[in-house]
Amino acid sequence: MKHPGHNNGDVKPQIGNMSLTLKRIGHYLLKRKGKLLLTMVMVALSSLLALAGPFLTGKAIDDYIASGDERGLIGLLAGLALVYIGYSAVSFLQNYWMVEIAQKTVYELRDDLFRHFHKLPISFFDKRRHGELMSRVTNDIDNISSTLNSSIIQIASGLLTLAGSIAVMLYLSPLLTAVTLLIIPLMFYGMKWITSRTGPKFKEQQRHLGDLNGFIEEAISSRHIVKMFSREEEMIHEFMEKNERLREAGYMAQAYSGFIPKLMNVLNNTGFAVIALVGGILALNGQATVGTIVIFTEYARQFTRPLNDLANQYNTMLSAVAGAERVFDIMDTDEAVDRGEGKIPPLAGEVTFDNVSFSYDTDKKILSNVSFHASPGDMIALIGPTGSGKTTIMNLLARFYEPNEGRILFDGINSREISGNALRSQMGFVLQDTVLFEETVMENIRYGRLDATDEEVIEAARQANAHSFIERMPEGYQSMLRQDGSGISQGQRQLLAIARAILADPVLLILDEATSSIDTITELHIQEALGRLMKGRTSFVIAHRLNTIRRADQVIRLKNGCIEAIGSYEEVAAAQ
Amino acid sequence: MNHVWALLVPYRLRMAAAWGLMLLELAVELVLPILMAKMIDDGIVAGEVNSILFWGSIMIGLSLFSFAAGITNSFIAARIGQNYGFDIRKKLIEKVQSFSFGQYGHFDTSTLITRMTNDVTQLQNAVFMSLRIMLRAPLMIIFGTAMALFVHFKLALVLLVTVPFMTFFMLFMMRRGAGMFRRVQIKLDKVNSVMRENLTGIRLIRAFVRSRYETSRFERAGKALMEDTIGVIRTFESIVPILMLVMNGGLLFILWLGFMEMQNGTATTGEIVAVINYAARIIISLSIFTFITLAFARGKASAVRINEVLAVDQEQLPAVTESYPAEGDLFLENVTFTYPGGKTPVLHSLSMRVERGSIAAILGETGSGKSALLSLIPRLYEPSEGRVAIGGRDVSQMDVRQLRRQIGFVPQESHLFTGSIIDNIRWGKKDATDEEVVEAAQKAQIHDTVLSLPDGYNTVIGQKGVTLSGGQKQRLSIARALVRQPDILLLDDSTSALDVKTEAALINAITSQNCTVLIVTQKVSTAEQADCIFMIEDGQIAASGTHRELARKNSLYRRLLESQGRGGGIHEASGS
Repeated sequence: MKHPGHNNGDVKPQIGNMSLTLKRIGHYLLKRKGKLLLTMVMVALSSLLALAGPFLTGKAIDDYIASGDERGLIGLLAGLALVYIGYSAVSFLQNYWMVEIAQKTVYELRDDLFRHFHKLPISFFDKRRHGELMSRVTNDIDNISSTLNSSIIQIASGLLTLAGSIAVMLYLSPLLTAVTLLIIPLMFYGMKWITSRTGPKFKEQQRHLGDLNGFIEEAISSRHIVKMFSREEEMIHEFMEKNERLREAGYMAQAYSGFIPKLMNVLNNTGFAVIALVGGILALNGQATVGTIVIFTEYARQFTRPLNDLANQYNTMLSAVAGAERVFDIMDTDEAVDRGEGKIPPLAGEVTFDNVSFSYDTDKKILSNVSFHASPGDMIALIGPTGSGKTTIMNLLARFYEPNEGRILFDGINSREISGNALRSQMGFVLQDTVLFEETVMENIRYGRLDATDEEVIEAARQANAHSFIERMPEGYQSMLRQDGSGISQGQRQLLAIARAILADPVLLILDEATSSIDTITELHIQEALGRLMKGRTSFVIAHRLNTIRRADQVIRLKNGCIEAIGSYEEVAAAQ
Repeated sequence: MNHVWALLVPYRLRMAAAWGLMLLELAVELVLPILMAKMIDDGIVAGEVNSILFWGSIMIGLSLFSFAAGITNSFIAARIGQNYGFDIRKKLIEKVQSFSFGQYGHFDTSTLITRMTNDVTQLQNAVFMSLRIMLRAPLMIIFGTAMALFVHFKLALVLLVTVPFMTFFMLFMMRRGAGMFRRVQIKLDKVNSVMRENLTGIRLIRAFVRSRYETSRFERAGKALMEDTIGVIRTFESIVPILMLVMNGGLLFILWLGFMEMQNGTATTGEIVAVINYAARIIISLSIFTFITLAFARGKASAVRINEVLAVDQEQLPAVTESYPAEGDLFLENVTFTYPGGKTPVLHSLSMRVERGSIAAILGETGSGKSALLSLIPRLYEPSEGRVAIGGRDVSQMDVRQLRRQIGFVPQESHLFTGSIIDNIRWGKKDATDEEVVEAAQKAQIHDTVLSLPDGYNTVIGQKGVTLSGGQKQRLSIARALVRQPDILLLDDSTSALDVKTEAALINAITSQNCTVLIVTQKVSTAEQADCIFMIEDGQIAASGTHRELARKNSLYRRLLESQGRGGGIHEASGS
């Protein structure tokens, strides 16, 4: 149970777990030691000044107002004025710096989480709902954010004020102090009872919120299907189940959190009454003055207020920890192993599959003992029925996945010795699912090579036969595309993806059903450009269309993850 | 705002109860100093032990009473808060599900997600806070002032100056803050959107080695969010120091005035202590104002955003009570159509007729309007001119749900859901028996593939079916449409990844279904099996007829044939 992430909802908060999480957050905070130190100095000052205020007020009543000492009172009031001004200035400054520290921490945390996403293997994303992962970047981190803004100052000033109040109270009257301190054990047990309920509920709440987020994302991105199949009611129904779970977890978390100020209030008020009672009796016996009682009730409040704050902050922290654990959960997920050489000289384009076997899950082999060799400049066509392993070969070439057995060699070097990024930076891709970004057409094509000029982008679009339809769009190359790709057709999206690959100008080209949604006449037009593009490069092509396959130097026919036939088009056709 | 606040109306009684309880609690707190003054004057000064004990125990009893009230309030408030959030999310999902295709364009997916989770949480928090503590502080100030005035009118007059000033100041800040928070939420949308793009495009990003570029994009979004957050929180953090300064100034004045009054014999020590006590309580309750104004401003900003979604008018569809079977010939008459937000029409007075039970193939260039044509039949969009009719009845006069229930639709991009294969197929018809599911899978030529998977029909596939091959995904979504046993089947280029043999078997199986089929395709081999082929060019029917007729008389069709490497009726390479 030491590792975060395994909570069943009714598990009691794990102290070791929590302190580990807090330590990790602390590590981020400590990156800004200087400002943090300054803030802490301000907190100390403001706590001191906060204590000085009522002390001087009490003095004013006891020593000057009651006795009618005008000059003394003026002096004291002047001092008090300074204290108040200082207090406001200092408490402004502490917050001013703290917000910066907190938000920079949140920024870094979010950034690290994002960076980690990019180090995770592709398989990590295969079975997770996007919206659930998004919730960690927004909702969970937002939870941490709001806590950090205020909690650290409140905790620090709470502790200081507490220590100060106890010291002054002891000085004023040890007996009354003892009465006041009776609150602490009561509070301790009360808090323990409350937080053992809120802690797990906070975690549940964040989990359900993530779940809901995941559902919403999926529901919205598949809205056309939902509409088509008239499934709105069912979607709403499923949503409501998740909504209900979130409501229940949220209710318990909030109701019990609401206990804390009430608990502190009753302790506070009772304390006030007890002090007044005991103080009154003491005063009767001449053991205390009226002024002492007034000051004391004031301090008792000063004393319970930080206790109240600390109790609330502890609870808020539990809620932040619930968010943070979900963030760290991801960060603790193992990165994809991508050691290998980070920088490699330009490849010639020789590719060898040497007895490669692969399975996504351990059970079913997608590829078994696949071997072939591509010389630099070869065009390899992969054919075979759906599910025979064509795309898997592409995935392995791109090192999205690693083979379970066998080796893939690039220019005779084992792919494991080259980093995936170094390898992919020499490859160009047109993937099966066309991805466009919420950017202009221009930027979407430029994604292939970030330093390409506008002219180069347009040239690539021309070659991909995309220029004419882009020109017809309302704002040409500056037209914004939507993420869901509405506004342009599937075939046009593929043309953009091809333009992107043309612009990338790679050594190795991978085209996975690159033209499947493009009509064959348009395809003929881009064939020429593709032909030019493939010249002198090794290319791997998955296609169903004859005229694409015919031009291949080698055709590999796959069936059930095995090579059924390999050779020239005529040879493979004859092998049937 | 009306939509959002209207949802609070059902809770008005419970809200009143929560406020009532809060008032009780507050009343106790306010009465305590009076009782204390009484105890000092009657008990201590007069030397009456019984009086001290009497007042003391009343004070303790009252604080226990207020505790009970507080706890009850906490439960009620949590219930209302969570129910309110639940209701808003319910309204939002219902609204979003009712959006027409055009209306989805108003909101980006990621902003809808933020609004449905994060914004609801903010608003819910504001409501919960207002029921639990928010009103406490303002009421504390009002009652504190009133009580102080009651104790000693002249001394407390100062409060009448400072309190209104503070009120205006806070209202001003809240108004400003709401605007700032709206900007913060927009920045959060951006973070969400970049994150989402990275999740959906993870393969492409890895393929083009753009992790670093994406990270810098994310960092820009994160930094903008951080800067805006720091700005808004700093603004709010400045509120309390300013208020403190004003109130503390008032306190000094009270001390001075108290001294004068005492000199004149118009005030007692007890009175001065009581007024100071009230002033001190007011000051303490000030510290929560950062929190309150912040939560309110934030809640207000989120309420506006939620309201924007709820305020979208439901598109008025003519009320239809009768339902007609979607049987008979499918007929499009002079249909002109422009996508919402688009400038040029994609279909120009297009007319076509498809006989009941026949298979029609639609061919045309990329972007010629094929998908648009299909989307008009189930009324995903309404034509700008002309009409679509089934069996002589205008579809615009049919109940949308009824109509769609009789249509099976397979979109270009096969969109599957997180869940098992059987769930995904049954998605097409929720009460389909296992036999019906298997039958649909068999017809879609996916049954054998499913059986070969480790868990068969219970195999879980990830979002968008990432662990399946392109062809498998297409066939699954065909099965999903077939399980509905539709009268009309629309295939939007959804057989592109299938080999010829599988496709032929599929079309054969569909023929036995006895439904009208519209199939958009790029492949002549598919079109060949159709009863009638429609050639679309620039949104108009350029030609129609059987394969033989078109091959003889239509030049575009001939060019298509040639582009697919066939003069006559030879088969394609892949597959058989």
